Amino acid sequence: MIATTRYLAMDVLRGQRFLAPVLVYCGVLGMLFLHGDAGPALQAYAGSCALIYPVAAWLAVVIATSEDPARREITVVTAGGWRPVLSAVALLSVLTVIALSLLATLMPLVTNPHPYSVGSVLAGFAGHVVCGTLGASVGLLFARPVLRTIGRTVLVVFAVIVLTYPLGKRTPFGWVLDMLGTETVNVTLLWSGMIAAVMIVGAVALGLRAARR
Amino acid sequence: MAAAILDLVELVEVGKRYGRGPWVLRDLSLSVSGLVVLTGGNGSGKSTLLRIVAGITAPTRGSVVGRPRSVGYVPERFPSDVRMSAQSYLGHMGAIRGRKADVLERLGFRGDLTAPMSALSKGNAQKVAIAQALAATDLLVLDEPFTGLDTTAATALVELLKDRTAVVADHEGHLPSEQVISLSDGHVVIELSRVSGLDELSELDGVRDVSERGIGARVLVEPAHSDRVLAEALRLGCSVRSVRS
Repeated sequence: MIATTRYLAMDVLRGQRFLAPVLVYCGVLGMLFLHGDAGPALQAYAGSCALIYPVAAWLAVVIATSEDPARREITVVTAGGWRPVLSAVALLSVLTVIALSLLATLMPLVTNPHPYSVGSVLAGFAGHVVCGTLGASVGLLFARPVLRTIGRTVLVVFAVIVLTYPLGKRTPFGWVLDMLGTETVNVTLLWSGMIAAVMIVGAVALGLRAARR
Repeated sequence: MAAAILDLVELVEVGKRYGRGPWVLRDLSLSVSGLVVLTGGNGSGKSTLLRIVAGITAPTRGSVVGRPRSVGYVPERFPSDVRMSAQSYLGHMGAIRGRKADVLERLGFRGDLTAPMSALSKGNAQKVAIAQALAATDLLVLDEPFTGLDTTAATALVELLKDRTAVVADHEGHLPSEQVISLSDGHVVIELSRVSGLDELSELDGVRDVSERGIGARVLVEPAHSDRVLAEALRLGCSVRSVRS
């Protein structure tokens, strides 16, 4: 699976479709953390957690659809089936989330005037990884091979992402934002992380089922 | 190193339809041993059968038994917009498979290995696609692999496929094989506009399927039995709208 993940990463990098979401992410992070006071540590992280959710979904769709269907079929046969390929897509999506989370977690340490304890940095990083993984799972749940046209994928992922925000504390994403916004780190983060992990595994399972239709 | 010929994959009464669409394949049983050549017209189900053998898609009914671990696959249309170089692509595919492709020169590849594959000619891109597949040790599944190849490369490919276990769609007749499966001979379709005695029709030899369609029906018949089934349908009082193969 490592070789498949490395191949997919190279393909995504050469495709350049990753640039738009990454530039949006960096641009909004810059607006959050480079201009004035972003607020206390965890509240500042809540802002970037709200950002990483849609960006991770966008990047997951880019990763899942980087290869065209014919080339994906070659990769599937070469790797020995859909399972290793879809697992590699999920792994690459999560690795991307971790990279984005590191950036969002470390950037305010330099630019934000508020004090950052080790605990708040760790909580912030975990919050980003959880929100990003939730976003990536939404992207993977509705990308190829589950939905076969990019138009449908974009519409459904956009709708799900937009609907998540008004649902507030009724979603794991909302739990994390609320927890960071109120500066009360608790076991909710762990639950949200477990749900995010289950959603990623579920996206792979659904993809496996859809791929062999 | 080429693999010995093995009795590898067995398809047992395989049928395939996409969603609620028509059946693309019906009750096909096949044992893949040595070189199996698929022939048939457009839309006869060759590519679908190959995708089932390769494990890309599952049959709607029936089963595939004994698919080996190392399978090589060439799709009907290898994409021309691959952004990485042939060298890089083959390197990655080799790393995924755990075995590198080593037949590109024998296929007469003349392009720039380090240039993006989108810059290669159709024939050279096809050679890259074939080379990555031939690195598989157990089974090759090739969908019209001769498309775009020059004579030298086509001859080399025929040589490379000797003593291999492979299922190849080849309607141009490049490959000699003792096992030729013709999917175009699959069935004759008899459309009936007025129906009578459908149960009797469905019991006749060679009738593969009878499906009611509104006030009419569609009967799928093996070609050898089509004349007799048609005569029987008329005798039973059916009106025939069309007969096509």
